[in-house]
Amino acid sequence: MLKPILLVEDNPNDLELTLIALSKSQLANQVIVVRDGAEALDYLHRRGDYAERVAGSPAVVLLDLKLPKVDGLEVLKEIRTTDGLKPVPVVMLTSSKEEQDLVRSYELGVNAYVVKPVDFTEFVRAISDLGIFWAVLNEPPPGSQRYVKPK
Amino acid sequence: MNPVSPVPVIDLSNCDKEAIHTPGSIQPHGFLLTLSDSLEVLQASANLGDWTGLGVRDAIGHPLADVIGAAAARVLAPELGADLGPRPYYVGTVTATNGRHFDVLAHRWDAVLILEFEPVDRAGAADFRQLYSLIGDFLREVNDAGSIESLAELAARQVRSVTGYGRVIVYKFDGDGHGHVMAEDKREDYASYMGQHFPATDIPAQARKLYTMSRLRLIQDANYHPAPLVPALNPATGKSNDLSFATLRSVSPVHLQYMRNMHTMASMSVSLMVKGQLWGLISCHNEDARPLGFEQRTACEQVGEILALCIESREDAADLQFRLDVRRIMVSTLAGLTQGSDFIENLSNVFPELLRFARATGVAVVVDERVLTYGDTPEQEDIQELVDWLTRHDHGDVFHTDNLSSVYPQGGHLIRNASGLMAVPISRIHKHYLLWFRPEYVRTIEWAGNPHDKIVQAAAAGVTLNLSPRTSFAAWRETIHGTSLPWHAGEIELTLEFRTALLGLALERAEQMAALAGELTRSNKELEAFSYSVSHDLRAPLRHIVGFADLLIESSGSEDAQMRQRFLKNIKEAARLAGKLVDDLLSFSQMGRAALRPTTVDMKELVGACVDKLALETRGRNIDWDIAPLPTVWADPTFLHLAMLNLLSNAVKFTAQRDPAVIRVTAEDHAHETVFHVADNGAGFNMEYVHKLFGVFQRLHRMEDFQGTGIGLANVRRIVERHNGRVWANSTLGESATFSFALPKQITNNSNA
Repeated sequence: MLKPILLVEDNPNDLELTLIALSKSQLANQVIVVRDGAEALDYLHRRGDYAERVAGSPAVVLLDLKLPKVDGLEVLKEIRTTDGLKPVPVVMLTSSKEEQDLVRSYELGVNAYVVKPVDFTEFVRAISDLGIFWAVLNEPPPGSQRYVKPK
Repeated sequence: MNPVSPVPVIDLSNCDKEAIHTPGSIQPHGFLLTLSDSLEVLQASANLGDWTGLGVRDAIGHPLADVIGAAAARVLAPELGADLGPRPYYVGTVTATNGRHFDVLAHRWDAVLILEFEPVDRAGAADFRQLYSLIGDFLREVNDAGSIESLAELAARQVRSVTGYGRVIVYKFDGDGHGHVMAEDKREDYASYMGQHFPATDIPAQARKLYTMSRLRLIQDANYHPAPLVPALNPATGKSNDLSFATLRSVSPVHLQYMRNMHTMASMSVSLMVKGQLWGLISCHNEDARPLGFEQRTACEQVGEILALCIESREDAADLQFRLDVRRIMVSTLAGLTQGSDFIENLSNVFPELLRFARATGVAVVVDERVLTYGDTPEQEDIQELVDWLTRHDHGDVFHTDNLSSVYPQGGHLIRNASGLMAVPISRIHKHYLLWFRPEYVRTIEWAGNPHDKIVQAAAAGVTLNLSPRTSFAAWRETIHGTSLPWHAGEIELTLEFRTALLGLALERAEQMAALAGELTRSNKELEAFSYSVSHDLRAPLRHIVGFADLLIESSGSEDAQMRQRFLKNIKEAARLAGKLVDDLLSFSQMGRAALRPTTVDMKELVGACVDKLALETRGRNIDWDIAPLPTVWADPTFLHLAMLNLLSNAVKFTAQRDPAVIRVTAEDHAHETVFHVADNGAGFNMEYVHKLFGVFQRLHRMEDFQGTGIGLANVRRIVERHNGRVWANSTLGESATFSFALPKQITNNSNA
């Protein structure tokens, strides 16, 4: 079974736009949506509302930088310092390329840092490329399944 | 053994060691008795017999009446009470047993009564009537005299007319003690000393001391033979009598030689005391011996005192005027200084004023390795070296010299433009100096005789060794090199004041810089937060507008009207949010900049006004407002209103699901602060994230759950902190939240908050 994509996004508009973009990229992966950092960590740790979910890490975490309660950088830090979560690819999605955020993200071991383009067509392309790269092209950590494009 | 004995070399500096106040003898133109309180004669001058016919032996141990006669003693006795002081006091004119008349002066000093008898021709008392008119005339003329010089000239004329001496000069001592003849009145055949200088060594130190104590000296005949006191020691003290105040006191043989060298047989000098200092002398000379009566001497003393008083007031006025002028320049200099931010540049802007301030021709500011100069100054390297030397030698707050090369030998080549130097350190920590330079002022001093010709050697053996001061009083010109015009005491004092002002300015500047730095740090932080917010939060709605607009275009052919409707709604809301964000950001930034205008604020009124303002948002809601009695506080009402409105608006927002919503406002009064609580029974928040609550653009809830830009609580915190207060919050998730803030009772307008 394909690993899902974990989308962490609080803003309803961004959420809608990202989901539309992902659907346009025709990825077969399931997209799990969580609305803040705390919820993302619950999902990753399989606790709280997600205690009962099927084990396994997502193919990629698309992480918004600014989130209520626990922000994107804190989520990233937690992923990178938790055994079992460390190898999960994390792509930071953000409105800005503030240098401090960029530097901090790479310090914390982000796999990619993507500034959401204002132009929607470009946004769709960016999300689509990201999904394909991380969910399809990227060689996943040992033990995970490869995505096979459905016929 | 070598028979040649060393030639005694006596120079006038030996005079400094001579105990001139205890000569053990008197001038013989009168006689002196010392008495016990019971008017018994303790000592008598050896010349007693010459004047009274009574041998000294017959006088010692006898009552005064036995010596001068009972009648004379009766006249004097009532005057010789305990109230006599050290200044000789005229106690009467008496006629001795032998029929001779004497003016008697009495004073009490050195544990004995000292009576001095001077022969007079009249039997009656001294007549001072002439003195009154004389003094009256002098006073009248003094008022018309403009300068100190003309006053002195007037005094010289008066004194000569009273004494009949051949020459009367008035001279003033300079800082080094040299005398300068500033006025003269003389008989035509006398040589003039006008304008000449008398070296300080002409009047030895202890003579100067004596001159300040006793105002008048008289030597009637330089060829006199002193009459010793018998017995030689004062029985009351066992030592030689202290004759400091005695009119007949015998003077130093050196002085008599000096007079003879000057061809002066009679001399009198009157001290000019100005502000307790020996300012100068009125000095009278006569080629022949000449007696001078008590009343004439008194007249001269009076003239001297009046002259001194006039000098004092004129000098005071001149000094005051001078200081006023210097101060005026100082103030305008300081006014020019406060403008720019670079201290050194500021100083260089007022260089012309600085020159005028110290009547200098060159000025330099040295700040570490930087040297800025103006006018005629030494080279930069020379100035640096000079400053190095100044820093090595502690000179206190101000260093000044009018003869730099004498204290700073390596500065010999600086004489031309830096013979005079005044320097002040203008930093308490660093090697920063302000220096003023004055050029060499070559002076020609006309000495009354060569002042360096002091050492007088006895010529060959067999020649009587005269204790000899210089023998020539012929004008002798000396050119003085390496000195500048002297620095005025007022200039030095005001330079100190100027330095204090400079240090004060520097300190003020440092404080301003610190405040500015704090202010800048704060605005920088805020600017960063601002730009961060703009790039994140303001960009999002724009992206959404573009995104949904693109989707709208894309779906134009689609049948899904509902979807298109939603896209349109999203666009509208994103646009509205963008607008609100801009407004909020602007208000937030304004809040950081505007100054607090604190006043007394009635919190009850303020909360009431907030509740009214929320009427629109609370319409249709069931809200139970529970407002406790609230005190007044000292705060900025506009800002505080905004903070309270934010808290109440939050409470209204987060209780949207409650019926009834309970919003409670309470206050606690503490010693140093007043605490306010806004509590609600709304959604609350997770205490885990309480530290983020008051940050800019921090949200603990999803946008669709509770609307807001994330600026409200940041505003509350900023407002309260600018009042030097604190904010905090407590909550039970899903049940209640309490937001609290404390305002200090005495706030300072803290701009660093």
